[in-house]
Amino acid sequence: MAHVHNCYLISFLIVGGVVAQVSNREIVRELKAGDASGCRHLMNLYQDRLLGEAVSVFHVPLFDAEELVSDVLLTVIDKVGGFEFKKGDGDFHFWVMTIFRNRVRDFARHTAIAGGLAESFEEPALEDEAKFSGVEKEVIDAIVRQYAESVNSGDGDEPVGKAGEISMKLKVIEETLDKMESWERVLLRCRALEVPYEDIARYTGKSVQQLKVYHARVKKKFVKHLALHYPELAIS
Amino acid sequence: MKRNPVDRLIQLAYLEGIITTHGAYEKFVVARNPRAVATPTARAALLQRLEAALAGKAVEAAPLTVGVFLRKVRSEQSLRPQEIFARLGITQNIYRMLEEDRLSPLKVPATAWKKFGQLFDLSADALVEMVRRTHQLVFFQPAFRSTLARYDGRKNKAMKAATIEKATKELYTRAQLVLPPEEEKKLNALLRSIIQ
Repeated sequence: MAHVHNCYLISFLIVGGVVAQVSNREIVRELKAGDASGCRHLMNLYQDRLLGEAVSVFHVPLFDAEELVSDVLLTVIDKVGGFEFKKGDGDFHFWVMTIFRNRVRDFARHTAIAGGLAESFEEPALEDEAKFSGVEKEVIDAIVRQYAESVNSGDGDEPVGKAGEISMKLKVIEETLDKMESWERVLLRCRALEVPYEDIARYTGKSVQQLKVYHARVKKKFVKHLALHYPELAIS
Repeated sequence: MKRNPVDRLIQLAYLEGIITTHGAYEKFVVARNPRAVATPTARAALLQRLEAALAGKAVEAAPLTVGVFLRKVRSEQSLRPQEIFARLGITQNIYRMLEEDRLSPLKVPATAWKKFGQLFDLSADALVEMVRRTHQLVFFQPAFRSTLARYDGRKNKAMKAATIEKATKELYTRAQLVLPPEEEKKLNALLRSIIQ
């Protein structure tokens, strides 16, 4: 864990064959001072990293992902004047990741508006190891449909109340996760974002092997609990 | 690549801020080797955009002139010109020329500048700097205009003029323009009476 921590305390960048150490504080200082080298350091540190996350974790098409990452870094430049370190050097990384998450969320909403969100759920994986029942599949479809509808019902300007309405449609996920055991929650949340089993093992105290074996079962249990929120589907 | 619908559902909840990994995911992003590499072209394009954005911010942060300040305040606070010039005790024409940075602050009495500072809650230093910048801008404007006029007979006139106009605006606000001693004297007299 200390290794991970050090990684964002000091970023090692290879510039012209020389290893340069650029801390997040240094990048922020450069950007606030209007120093153009801050742009290069920011790009070196985040462009590939965020691109990889957008493409491989959130399945954003490469072309859109490149644009999305540009938007994130441009927002960093735009807002860095108001950014302040409060706890430590890692604050900047968490701030960038929050901007990134919001941009990916916007992309997901736009996909929903364009009608492409449901398609991304129509993958054969649902038929795989967990063997979900018809009702359970319908439950997932219903949540995605409701989410897409709530996104579509907005007027594009996204008033304050709309964001709350959209997230309400997904509240059932949080409620269901809360009913599960702590380690199961961690496993589901972290694996959805492709955090490796080794790291999850450290958080949960379970072995990697156990987590791998239980993952499919925990997913099945989650969907089963989720279905309880939709009794009308169970009856039909 | 196989996408699991349960994972996608949980991802949606994460993106909408319903659930969190308490920093586990964000920490792991640092440790994970990037799984995509941008092309050199994409890198160059992004760097150019970032540098342009940073340069744009520098211009924005440059000292304001009275005109830039008034336009900004009016648009941010949805004020009408008469709401301002009536309080400053100046005429509509004078106000309009001030807003367009076409009138030297020397033509406006010190009492109006004092009211200006009070109305917008400006510190004496900020007001003095703004008045000084504006006077420099107005004083040097004819010299820049004559430079611009030299482009009149050339190709792509509109494009060149727009570029130069933009550059001169930046120059007005950022450059250290030295006034002739007589102008400096007049300006200092006004500034002294404003801060008195």
